[in-house]
Amino acid sequence: MSSAPAQIRKLATGRRLEHVVVLGANGTMGYGGAALFTQAIPRVTFLARTREKAQEGLAAATKQVRSETVANRADVGSYEELDAKLASADLIFEALTEDFALKQQMFDRVEKSRRADSIVATVTSGLSINELAEGRSESFRRHFLGLHLFNPPNVIVGTELIAGRDTDPALVDFIEAFASVRLGREIVRTHDTPAFAGNRVGFKLLNEVAQLAEQIGPVLADRLVGPYTGRALTPLATIDLVGWDIHRAIVDNVYEKTHDEAHASLRLPGYMAKAMQRGVLGNKSGGGFFKRDGKTQLALDPASGDYRPVLELKLPKLDYIERVAALHAVGRYREGLAAFLAAEGPEAEIARRVIAGYVSYAFHRAGEVTDTITGIDMIMASGFNWAPPSALVDLMGAAAAAQMIERAGLSLPALLRDAAKSARTQRFFRHPQLNVGKFFVAS
Amino acid sequence: MAAKSEVYVLGGYQTDFARNWTKENKHFSALMREGVLGALERCEIAPEEVESAHVGNFAAELYCMQGHLGAFFTEVDPKFSGLPTSRHEAACASGSIALLAASAEIEAGRYDLQAVVGIEQMKTVSAAQGGSYLGTAAWYDQEAKGVEFPFPKLFGRLGDEYDRRYGLKDEHLAEISRINYDNAKLNANAQTRTWYMNKQHALCRTEDNPAVGGRIRISDCSQVTDGAVCVFLASRAYAEKWARGRGVELANVPRIKGWGHNTARLRFDDKIAESRDQQYVLPHVRSTITSAWKRAGIADVNGVDGIETHDCFTTSEYMAIDHFGITAPGESWKAVEAGWLAIDGKHPINPSGGLIGAGHPVGATGVRQLLDATLQVTGQAGAYQVEGAKTFQTLNIGGSGTTSVSFIVAV
Repeated sequence: MSSAPAQIRKLATGRRLEHVVVLGANGTMGYGGAALFTQAIPRVTFLARTREKAQEGLAAATKQVRSETVANRADVGSYEELDAKLASADLIFEALTEDFALKQQMFDRVEKSRRADSIVATVTSGLSINELAEGRSESFRRHFLGLHLFNPPNVIVGTELIAGRDTDPALVDFIEAFASVRLGREIVRTHDTPAFAGNRVGFKLLNEVAQLAEQIGPVLADRLVGPYTGRALTPLATIDLVGWDIHRAIVDNVYEKTHDEAHASLRLPGYMAKAMQRGVLGNKSGGGFFKRDGKTQLALDPASGDYRPVLELKLPKLDYIERVAALHAVGRYREGLAAFLAAEGPEAEIARRVIAGYVSYAFHRAGEVTDTITGIDMIMASGFNWAPPSALVDLMGAAAAAQMIERAGLSLPALLRDAAKSARTQRFFRHPQLNVGKFFVAS
Repeated sequence: MAAKSEVYVLGGYQTDFARNWTKENKHFSALMREGVLGALERCEIAPEEVESAHVGNFAAELYCMQGHLGAFFTEVDPKFSGLPTSRHEAACASGSIALLAASAEIEAGRYDLQAVVGIEQMKTVSAAQGGSYLGTAAWYDQEAKGVEFPFPKLFGRLGDEYDRRYGLKDEHLAEISRINYDNAKLNANAQTRTWYMNKQHALCRTEDNPAVGGRIRISDCSQVTDGAVCVFLASRAYAEKWARGRGVELANVPRIKGWGHNTARLRFDDKIAESRDQQYVLPHVRSTITSAWKRAGIADVNGVDGIETHDCFTTSEYMAIDHFGITAPGESWKAVEAGWLAIDGKHPINPSGGLIGAGHPVGATGVRQLLDATLQVTGQAGAYQVEGAKTFQTLNIGGSGTTSVSFIVAV
């Protein structure tokens, strides 16, 4: 959207948005989204299978944003009250389980009772917007779009906005303006591709590190692709936080529906599937790659499925990480990444392969999942809190980044090949305000 | 005496005020480095062009166990080694004092290009410890020693004084908070851009929004913030050269058209006693504002298109509204109710989100305000741009209304 700021602010108020109905309001994204809406929308209805479940959603929303005033704007109900509640809804926010048939059934009911001008948004993280809209009325298709929040939405502002083939473009502009201006979202428009942009690129890296853990153990894998590579939270700790079941749903979906150059890195490791059969789901089940036994930190042994005290594990010396972190600590990120690229030893090589994979995969997806690399950059920055791929290239220099990718045996995206050959220094990341330094945590 | 050189503001850079540099394991010098390098890049200035640097900072000795901050400027680039640098302190007005010193040197013809850095790293200590450090901006022994969170209490008393003289309703303070938080959502560098807030929450009187000092609730407070801001001030000669190199008319390069600077007595009680029979509760603050107008040739607040004011608490913004003359003394609530303070209102205040919404890295705030004023008058403020702004005023206050500095930036 290139309109002037005053116009965007005006656009945000250009449509009546006084009542939102949240479907699946007891789920994480349901109550998280609902809490967000209560900041700016006068009435927010929490609906779930039962009134009790909706009430639980309201309690969770209140707790998440720590404001009992959430209840002043909220009402709760079960799907039995759907028809009555939808009659006055300006926005219907669907946040049911990621199950195509289940969502379809709900949309059948929504079709019957929604007002013709109501907006229907789905928070799906993986299902196709066009497929969900297929066969529905013209009014539904014109008013239907994807609004993919990241968890928890009160902390993570990155939000993907996905228009369907028939979505009214003016409506997409309005939602972008409203979500940016009133809800503080960083909106990234993505194409209707599997897992959209953020999860496609992000979970590819996460899963690759999970695969790596099978060979070198989760502690070393997480250390090698740790904060110094451009993230606050390490990859496997992220999977534990997200939940293994969610991780599986996302990578399985992408693995099934895409066939790109990195297909193999989207295959869920067998040891994870086995552990899930035993009930291992990450933090929500009491542990995943990591867990605590009193004061003792334990790490999973992928081969046996047992846990071992982290302190008893023998790790190779990783002096190079300390050198990189020391440079990051005084804000010398360019020098820090140069030290990373120059570091010797098999560990540094493994780490560079993963980062090379991240950059290469992202640049290959530009044009496919978003219009340009900037969309991918922005969702990695604001949805994952990771250094955007372009920022890594800028700090390393295009030639050095290209060399890293080729040495890792990966295919070099054309954009990077051209930039590496060019005599002129090309800048890929040009967000006027985003501080790239914040991603390079000094550890 | 030769005519004074005009002082131009070429632009600058602000770090993301939501960052916690301690959590990033970063040293104070990284904060300085990002602020300065960001400004050099944004303004397309080569390090060797910079002739002098002024650093505004309140209390790095306490928060970071680090003094001699002027010298840290030379660590940013090898070409800075040997530059004349200095550090300035006036509590929350430290950044503006650094700006005043730099601009005076340009007016005096000593230098053509100066860097001014405002910087504070505050998340190194607990909230209680930090609150006590902030107490050194008051008369510590008499007003802050042994007091938990002394400043909210002092500015709570400013509200009490308004209440006593004119009457004051909490709902007007809550609306001021709401506006700042809403504006912050438009500012990608604002600390609170993801925080939950609306007027109902600001009016909430439970443990979700606890009282921290008299009538001051958490939602009435500015934030504990890590941040650095760097701007470049230039003489007419340098600004002409710089503008030419960028194909810009000199008339479109912002200039400091006026400034005001007053220091009142340190203790809050003494200030209030002095103003007992006057219309303005803090007359020295009023004087700072009007002397800036006078120097800029502006008659009153209608001569500025927007204001970045020092809302360390909602009561300080409430005070600023009538001290700027937006309403008659004691009637600030009228501007709040009329919606004049909104970005698209008649007298936009703190489109950036101010200290409540954008954050308050103490020594950086004055420089941040000047940068925001510069962005506004050059149409570069992004989503929080005041349409068509050509003249913007700042008000930066140190202590309990003690040191006041105001700048008017215009194209």
